[in-house]
This record gives sequence, structure tokens and C-alpha cells, in this order.
Amino acid sequence: MLPEDLIGVSVQGLKRNISRSLLTTLGIIIGVGSVVLMVSIGASFQQYILDQVSQFGQNTFEIQAKGLEQQGQPTQAITFGDVEAVRKLSTVQSVAPVIFVTERVAYGEEELTPFVFATTKELFDNWGFQPQLGRLFTDADIQSASNVAVLGGLAVDELFPNEDPIGKRITIGARKFTVVGVLEELGSPLAQTLDSSVYMPLSVGKSMMGSSLYVDYISLKSRGSNDLTKADLESLFRQRHSIVNPENDPEKDDVVVRSMEQAVSVISSVTLGMTIFLGLIAGISLLVGGIGIMNIMLVSVSERTKEIGLRKAVGAKKQDILLQFLLEAITLTVIGGLIGVLCGAGLAYLLYLIARQFLQDLPFALSMSAILLSVSMAAGTGLAFGIYPARKAANLSPMEALRWE
Amino acid sequence: MSSKGSSLIEAKKLCKSYFNEGLETPVLFDIDLTINSGEFVAIMGPSGSGKSTLMHILGFLDHFTSGSYLFHDEPVLRMNDDDLAKIRATRVSFVFQAFNLLPRTSVLENVLLPLLYHPTIAASERMDRAMKAIATVGLTDRAKYLSNQLSGGQKQRVAIARALVTEPEVIFADEPTGNLDSVSGRQVMEAVQQLHEHGHTIILVTHERTTAEHAERIIHIRDGRIQEDTKSFKRRLAKEASTLAK
Repeated sequence: MLPEDLIGVSVQGLKRNISRSLLTTLGIIIGVGSVVLMVSIGASFQQYILDQVSQFGQNTFEIQAKGLEQQGQPTQAITFGDVEAVRKLSTVQSVAPVIFVTERVAYGEEELTPFVFATTKELFDNWGFQPQLGRLFTDADIQSASNVAVLGGLAVDELFPNEDPIGKRITIGARKFTVVGVLEELGSPLAQTLDSSVYMPLSVGKSMMGSSLYVDYISLKSRGSNDLTKADLESLFRQRHSIVNPENDPEKDDVVVRSMEQAVSVISSVTLGMTIFLGLIAGISLLVGGIGIMNIMLVSVSERTKEIGLRKAVGAKKQDILLQFLLEAITLTVIGGLIGVLCGAGLAYLLYLIARQFLQDLPFALSMSAILLSVSMAAGTGLAFGIYPARKAANLSPMEALRWE
Repeated sequence: MSSKGSSLIEAKKLCKSYFNEGLETPVLFDIDLTINSGEFVAIMGPSGSGKSTLMHILGFLDHFTSGSYLFHDEPVLRMNDDDLAKIRATRVSFVFQAFNLLPRTSVLENVLLPLLYHPTIAASERMDRAMKAIATVGLTDRAKYLSNQLSGGQKQRVAIARALVTEPEVIFADEPTGNLDSVSGRQVMEAVQQLHEHGHTIILVTHERTTAEHAERIIHIRDGRIQEDTKSFKRRLAKEASTLAK
């Protein structure tokens, strides 16, 4: 039998039972649709989170004292001497030490307890902050320990709901500060803390924290390879803090050196894991759809036993019948799979439009690999679950089939 | 088609039993039978006599239990499933009592069906052959009708068109008039007669004397055994009349 005849016969068989064919594909439509929908949602959120993290720059590093990392409490692990040593490394481009000032911020009746960063202007560079109003603080502000403050885009809304904040005097702890600038919001939920924070010169924060010799956190940008920078930083801190750690065991270090690239890869693997998990759950419905196909194909073989007998009586070989029924099952599943892709993608787009009301930067991501995989899985399901009914049909003897009641 | 008069079917000591849960039900016993190319043979017998089973075995639709069956001097026992399918596709065809047309399918598509499985007829020839076969049974104007829109007689004529579309050597007809009224039955038998006149070997199974009389030879079968193998009365009369006229 010619391949085109085989396709024609299979399509004709499906067309003769159009409503049953459509109902059969429903399971596959739902299965493939769910996989595409779930993976698309997962991929969109993965992309979104990665975009948010990446806006800090892939070559950005942060160094935290372990106490801060683990208990949320400042520790005395990173000294200003360490900061200067870091600054001298050839693999480091710009360094911004940070002291967290734990004081309230007030303007008139309004009062906040935000993160107060005492830092240098390099922090704004490292994180990509731009002034929305006024200016950022300068080296001169730091050198002269000026009581000036820059407000995060969200902090300003809280303190100055109806006023221009530039030039206004706010209180941080017991000191008065002049607001010299307002930062443009980074806007993402991940950067909400930074947008709600207040920034002051490092020298001022140092004196407010009792002329502290320690910093809580260092933000820096690397020059060249991130791996080299990380290795340089770790070795520097081990050397300066007299830590012997030739086996590179992170447990033995007293600081955590983390690149944004590393964070991206961790987040990426977590979200990928979630996406695969969602995809697998949806894959179960694909399996159920496949069993539905087998069920219907078995019914179809029973119903069409006489037809099988007739085809054999006019010369069809076992292989012709086997391929006809297999092709019918595969056609059903592939058509169901394609409709499922359209439905899943359509629904994912609808949900994306709704989600964008809340997350403006959310991208719409359709995973081509998920689409190809789910359609191939659907075809595979058709093949796997079509084989049994098809073999059953092919093995009938012509007379056995013709006598079937 | 092979030359008229040469041996087409040769069965010796052919037996057939059905087995159900270890229980043997014998249906045919020691059938010895030779049918030559171009013959018109009727196999007659009462219901349950084994005539249809014999036809199905001779037509490669069913297997025999013992004995031998030569088709064109080739032992059928040595043929595998694909060989048998090839013979069904190219050298034999069937007309069934219950028509066995594909439901919700047009007359043309039903007649085209055997051509899909024919190994040598080109796809480009199919339509011409099918339309020619439909014209032979006088149903050209019904070619696009669905099979369920036809009368019983028309359905059987479609089945005949389907049987002759591959131009087989042998046409097996199993009670072709069994489900038809007398007028339709007569038309169908005229069509079968014409096939024979065009050189096809016809093997007809029937329990009706009048239908069997269309054949040249009538094989009577009862309780799974051949009882009588005679020339048809009508044919004998016709032959004698023609001899007298000469």
C-alpha cells in the first residue's frame, strides 16, 4: 500500500467518526495544553526573575560577613583595612563599603524604619541607580562628612507624599539631614527594599555607629573574569583573617563572596526545577489522555472489525491494517497536540496579560522545547497506546473479522 | 487471466474443524474437488452444510485443518499471510450476502477500496477502472451516493463492481441474492452471468436451486461432504438444444 493511500485511509477513517475523533483528542488537547501553559508560566517567571537580578549587572559581587548572612545581625568580620585591600586587587573595578545604620527616619509627622545605607557613590554605580530628582552624594560629601541624604524612590513617597523633598530636612536618629536627591525606582519586587531605603555618606554613618572600624557589606564590580575575582577575594580574606582553607570549604570562611552571576544561576536552577515540576504534573494529564486514546482505539477496532475483515478480504496485509490504525492514533494525538499547543499558548498569553497588571516587566515566554517535547510526547503517546489496538486489529483473520457481530 | 480449462483449484482430502475451548467441531470431511479456469460453479446445500466454509477456504479467507489445496498447482499450505493477502488483492475477489460495503462511504470509494491494496495497478489508473466497474453494473449515476443511500440490489451491484474492479481470475459469491427481492436478485445474477461470459471463473454459494441453475456445474454438499457434482440442468438443456440445432 502506498504511503499516501495509507494517510488517506487513516484520515478517512477519522473523518467517518468525526465527533468521536474530536472527543478522543480532548484528553491530548488538555494534556499538551497544560504542559505548554505550565511551562510557559514557569518560563515567564524564570525570565522575569533573571531579568530583575541581571539588572544589577552580571559582574557585580557582594561580600557579607557570615553573621549578617546567617542571623541578620552585623558582625565585626570585615574591616576598613579589608575594604582597602579589596580596592587594591587588580580584578576589582569599583568598591562600595556599606554600614547599616539602625535608626529611624522622620520628617514632620511621617516616620519610617527603612534600611539606612551609609556608603559611597560607587554603590549607585554598581546597582545602576540614577537620580530622579536632585543629585547623588559626591566624594566631597563623604570627605566633609556632610549630613546629606538620598532617598529611595519608594521612601520618598512615604515621607513626602505631597511635597518636593529636595532641600528638606529629615531626621535620622538624632541628626538632621538635608535631602539632596531622590533615586529613580528600580521598580522590581526584588529591589523593593533598595527603593524603600535611605542613603547617607559612609563617613557620617561611621560616626553615627561610634566610629565603627567594621563594615557590614561590600558591593563591588569585577574587572574581567568573575571566577578569577571570586578566587582573588576569597584568598585575600583567608589571608587577612588567617583562615587556612586549602580545600575551599565555604563553611570555614568567615565571609561570603557571592557574584550576581552565581545568584542568577542559583535562581535559574531553582525556577527551572519548578518549571520542570509543573511540566511533569501537566505531563500526567497527557498520559491520561493517551490512555483515553487507547480506550477509544480499542472501541474503534471492535466497532470496525467487519471493516478490517473486508479490507483483508480485498487484499490488505497485516502491516497495512497495523499502520492504518497506528496512523489514526498518531494523527489524533498530533492534531490534539497542535490544538493543545494553541490552547495552552493562548491561555498562557491571557494569564500573562492579567499578570502584567501587577508585574509590569513580566515577559511572555513560550518554551519552544516544551512545545516540541509535548507534541512529540503526544505523538509518542499515540504510538505507544495505539500499538495494542492496532496489533489486535492486524492479527484478526479475515473470516474471524467478517463474522464479527 | 489464465487459459480457459486449465486447472485452477485442486483440493484433496480437504478437512476443516473449528475448535472452541478444546472442543472440536468438524465441518468439512475429505473434500476432493477440481475447478478449472473459466468455470461457473455453484456450491449448493442446506444451511449448515459447510458450503460457505468451503468457499472461504477456497477463497483464502480461512485456513483448512488437513488435506491439500493447490491453487494453480501451488500448494496453499506453503503460502504465508502476505502471499495469501497478495492473492486476495490480485487474483480472487468476493461478493458477500451482506454486501459488506464501507458505511458512510460513497459508491466510488467502496469500489476504489481493493485498488488501494493492489500491488501493480497504478494510482493514476484507479479512477478509470473504478468508473468502468461502476458502469458495468449500471450505477454510474449513483457513483457519488453514500452506500447507505442505496437499495439492497444496488448495494449488491456495488459489491459486484468492487469485486471486478481488479479484474480477478476468480470471483467468489456467497449467497449474493440472499438478501434481495426476486427482481433485484435476477439483476444481480445477470451481472454475475456477464462476469462469467467475460472469462471470470465464478464460484457461487447458494441454497436456492434457481440461483444455482445459472452455473454450468453444481456441487451438492451435505453434512460437510460432497454428495453430487453435476452439470447444471439448464446448461445441459442449452447444450443439447445447441447440438440439435447444429
